Amino acid sequence: MPGVYFTTTEFLDDAKSAAKDRGMPGIRMIALPADTYYRSRASHEELQPIAAAAFSAMVDDLIRPLTADEAKPSQTQRQLESANIKVTGKDYQDAYQKVNDLFLDSHWGDGLPIVPPTPKLVKAMLAATSRSPQEVLGQAAPKQGTATVEKIAVNSVMAGAKPEYFPVILAAMDGFLDKKYDLTHVQASTGSFTPVVVVSGPLGKELGINSGIGMLGHGFRANSTIGRALRLSLLNIGQTWPQVNDMALTGRLESYTFFTFAEDEDKSPWEPYQVSLGYKPEESTVTVATSGNPLVLGGGAVAPWTGQGVIDQVVARISGGGGFGWFHSQTFVLVLIPDCAVDLHDHGYTRKSLQEYLYEKSRLPFEKLSPATVKLTQEAIADGRIRPENAQIFKDNLKPGGRVPIVQTPDDFHIFVAGGSPGYDLLFSYPGPNWAHQTKKITGATLTKAGH
Amino acid sequence: MKRNTNWLLATGLLIGGLCAAGSATAQVTLEVMNPRGEIPPPPTIGINPRVPDLAGKKIVLVDNGKFGANNFLDVVAQMLKEKYPTATIAMYPKPAAQTITDMPKWYPTVKQQGDLFIFGVGD
Repeated sequence: MPGVYFTTTEFLDDAKSAAKDRGMPGIRMIALPADTYYRSRASHEELQPIAAAAFSAMVDDLIRPLTADEAKPSQTQRQLESANIKVTGKDYQDAYQKVNDLFLDSHWGDGLPIVPPTPKLVKAMLAATSRSPQEVLGQAAPKQGTATVEKIAVNSVMAGAKPEYFPVILAAMDGFLDKKYDLTHVQASTGSFTPVVVVSGPLGKELGINSGIGMLGHGFRANSTIGRALRLSLLNIGQTWPQVNDMALTGRLESYTFFTFAEDEDKSPWEPYQVSLGYKPEESTVTVATSGNPLVLGGGAVAPWTGQGVIDQVVARISGGGGFGWFHSQTFVLVLIPDCAVDLHDHGYTRKSLQEYLYEKSRLPFEKLSPATVKLTQEAIADGRIRPENAQIFKDNLKPGGRVPIVQTPDDFHIFVAGGSPGYDLLFSYPGPNWAHQTKKITGATLTKAGH
Repeated sequence: MKRNTNWLLATGLLIGGLCAAGSATAQVTLEVMNPRGEIPPPPTIGINPRVPDLAGKKIVLVDNGKFGANNFLDVVAQMLKEKYPTATIAMYPKPAAQTITDMPKWYPTVKQQGDLFIFGVGD
C-alpha cells in the first residue's frame, strides 16, 4: 500500500534514521516547517497555509513512479565494530588527547573526557565478572546494536568505573535490554525521561554506593561512574545522538550519570526491596526504572513533616491530573528517607500496605478522565496491555461513578528507602506508553564478597 | 675545584643530550577498543509502487495521536476532497495505546480501508 509520511523539519533526520534502522530507507517523507507547525497545530485556520504549501509535494510523493533504488534498495552492509584503534601522539599526553578528540568527534562519548579503553584496562574490567566477554545481553535500541559483556566493559573503562562495579553495570544493562523494558522510548523520546538505577542488597554497601545525603549529587565515584558507564553503554551500543535520534527536547535531566544510588537497608524499617520481590537478603539486585521530572517531597532540614503528610502529597500529586493516561504501563518509584519510612512503619504501614494505600487513594473518578484517556484505557484492555487478571477492575470502573486505578496493581508503586537524615523524599514517575522498569539479580562478581 | 666543575658540566651535557634524543623519538601509540555496538543490518525492502492518479482512490489519513495531527489531517482531507472529488477520504486514528513500532497491530486495518495512506504528523 503506497503511503507518505509527514514529519517536521527538526525530526527529518530522526525519521530517516528510523526508516533506515527498520530496513525501509526509501520511505517518502515531507517535513513541515517546525517553527510554524507546532504553534499552529491547534487551529485549522492557521494550519491551512502549512498544508497548502505541502500539498503538491504530498500528491507527487503518492504518484511519482519509484526510482530503482526506492523499489529495490541495496542491502545495508554490516559495519564491523570489532577492530581496535591505534592512535599515535608525540608523547602520552598528546596520544591521550588524540584519543579523546577521536572519541568525542566521532560521537562515541558524552562530551566529557574519557579514559582511553586500552585492551589492558578492558581486560582488568572483564576480570571482575565470571560472565563471558562474548555473552550477548541483548540488542540496544534504537539501532539494535549488539550488547556484549566486552562492549559494556569498554564503555565502563571509558566512564572511569572501578572493575568491582562492573557486575552492577552488567545487571543494570540486563534490565535495560530486557524486551519488557521500553528502551526505545527512554533513549529517543522528546520527553526528558531519565533512567533511575537503584542497587539493593549487600553489594551497594560493599561498593560504597552513596545512599545518604547527596546521593544524587557528585562526588561519589560508585554512583557517578556506574551511572556514566550505563550512559556511555546505551549511547554507544544503541548508537544514539542528540538532534539525530535522541530527541529529548531539553536533554535528559541527569544525562551523564543517570539517577544512581543504593537502598539503605540498614536504616530501613522494612525488608530490603529485593527481598520484597522474592530475592534472598544476601542477594543483590539492581533496579532500572525511568523517570520524568522527579518530585521532591517532605521538609528536609527546613520544615516539619510527617510520614502521612508525605504520602498524602504523593497521592495529591499523582491523582491531580497530568500524565498521559497510560495506566497500563505507568509505574512509580517512591524513595522515602529512612526517618520517613520509620515514621510510617511506626504508624502501622508495611511496604505492602503502603503500596495498597497508594493504589487505592490514587484511583481517579471516571468523571475526571478525558475522553482520550478513557479511549486509551479501553484500547489497553482490548489489546491485553492491561493484563486480563487486572482488567476487570478497569472495566467495572470505566463508567460514571467509577474510580479508575492509575496503575495495574499496587506493585507498580516501587518503594525504596534511601536518603539523608534530614532529607527529602523523592517520587520518580514514568507515564510512558510501555513498561520501563526491571529488576535484575547481580551475578558473577569475582572481586567482591557479594554479587556472586 | 676546576676538575669537579668540568665533570659536572660533562655529566649535564650528557643527560641533556639523552633527553633531547629521547624526546625526538619517543612517540606514544595508544591502542584502544571500539565502544560501539555492532548493528545487525535488517533486511532492506523497497516501498510500494505509487498510483498513477489519486482520482477515484480510497485514501486513508492515519492520525498518529500526537496533539494537532488530527487538525492537520482534517485540513489535508478537505484539500483532497476539493481537488479529487471522486476520491474517498477516510480518517483513521491510530490506537493511541499503540506506538508506531506496533505497526503490525494497526496497519492491517488501514490496508483494509484504502488504496493508499497518509501518516502524520511524526515528531
